Amino acid sequence: MSGGLAGRRILITGAAKGIGLASVARFLSEGASLAALDRDEQALAVLRGRFGGSPLHIVGADVAEPASVASAVAECAAALGGLDGIVNAAGIDLVADVETMALGQWHRVLAVNLTGPMLVIQAAFPHLRAAGGGTIVNVSSGAGLSPLKHRTAYCASKAGLQMASKALAMEAAEFGIRVNTVCPGAVETELFRSGIDASPDPRAAYESVRARYALKRIAAPEEIAAAILWLTSAESSYVTGTAIAVDGGRTFH
Amino acid sequence: MTVGEGRFSGKVVVVTGAAHGIGAVTARRFLAEGARVAVIDREADGFAEHFSDMPAECLLAVTGDCTDATMLADFHARVIAAFGPVDILFNNVGQSGRERASPFHESEEEVWRFVLEVSLLTTMRMSRLVVPAMRERGGRVINMSSDAAFVGDAGLTDYATAKMGIVGFTRALARELAPHRVTVNAVAPGAIRTRAHDRLTPAVIDRIVATTPAGFIAEPEDVAGCVAFLASEDARYITGQTLLIDGGRWMI
Repeated sequence: MSGGLAGRRILITGAAKGIGLASVARFLSEGASLAALDRDEQALAVLRGRFGGSPLHIVGADVAEPASVASAVAECAAALGGLDGIVNAAGIDLVADVETMALGQWHRVLAVNLTGPMLVIQAAFPHLRAAGGGTIVNVSSGAGLSPLKHRTAYCASKAGLQMASKALAMEAAEFGIRVNTVCPGAVETELFRSGIDASPDPRAAYESVRARYALKRIAAPEEIAAAILWLTSAESSYVTGTAIAVDGGRTFH
Repeated sequence: MTVGEGRFSGKVVVVTGAAHGIGAVTARRFLAEGARVAVIDREADGFAEHFSDMPAECLLAVTGDCTDATMLADFHARVIAAFGPVDILFNNVGQSGRERASPFHESEEEVWRFVLEVSLLTTMRMSRLVVPAMRERGGRVINMSSDAAFVGDAGLTDYATAKMGIVGFTRALARELAPHRVTVNAVAPGAIRTRAHDRLTPAVIDRIVATTPAGFIAEPEDVAGCVAFLASEDARYITGQTLLIDGGRWMI
């Protein structure tokens, strides 16, 4: 099959919903073979139904669980016959006042958003090296560039992911592995919707989020997937250690 | 070659400083993906080298100095007459004046003025010409910064100033034009194999390679891929950004 990712074997986490799901659809259309990892078994079943017959291996795993990640990544690499790229799209949000935030909540956000990608990368790195090079794209957030109120843990996890990506980019360069991050703003996903719906006045909340962006609209997941695709493709061959904001004009990074 | 199919089919593209290197390769890239392209450069020999197989149907090549405001306005008028309003502007023209570069305490105002003129004011002028129509129709502006602005290369204070000026211009214009479906972004290349690069001494090249995590000098094609992406529909939600294409050099 032709396309910008023909012959590439890519692992995508958080693949059953939102940005991960949009990436699965786009990457398949560009000719990649994929392994899709997610902890939501129900959503994975829907994914299986939607993409039946495509070169897509599906694995249930929680990126915050080291043992689960190690076996899942090994299974994905075996199924695809190796790995040429990773997209770390799994992530969770947390809106909480600093005084009432439980320590467990803080730990969970860091475990999923920061430790999770590192666990996946650690497990997958030998496979990328064996392939003679590859790409790693981590989905951070505009909130990792420019802060948002009541999102202390979330912002810290996403900023941490960016710096981890940069440090890793230095280490990975000698193996021909590029590491970059994408920093979306608000994206029309289940995660975004649940945050809006939980607020006292969802309509006002939506409007205030929308107003933050120069383009005055919320992104579609496909718009983030387009940037992830580009960073995964050979089109970005000399780009490493960078963070691209796909945020409709908020951070002006 | 005729006007072809591709991502940029039906689009009118302007590339300034397109006779050599990144400008020429990026213009070729837009042509290969179906655009009609207008190029301007003061050195006509490069046009012959890169575009001699291109018919007037898809390529307008104008020989002229981009620092001449009248020349630039005339070029814009010819683009409109030949192809219609501009959809994508790649403000590529610029140079570091490296052969006259010096430590700041020995630098001369005449050289500052030249570097600011050719690397910053040309970008503002060409944008000023195309933006009124873009506000009506949407569009893409891609400006040329440099990782020298971020790194702060010694001996190139004027160039770093001009190229960081590009970053500020990009952000402010992006904010102004966002409601009009115009995105404005910049690219900031590191070491790319161009004529300017070929004039560097081996010792300087070795130092650049040693301070670039990717460990090699890139080709103009590596930049063209980034510009094409920012100009494409895939990048419609990206605006106000400066994208480093430097093999990780600024990161350290």
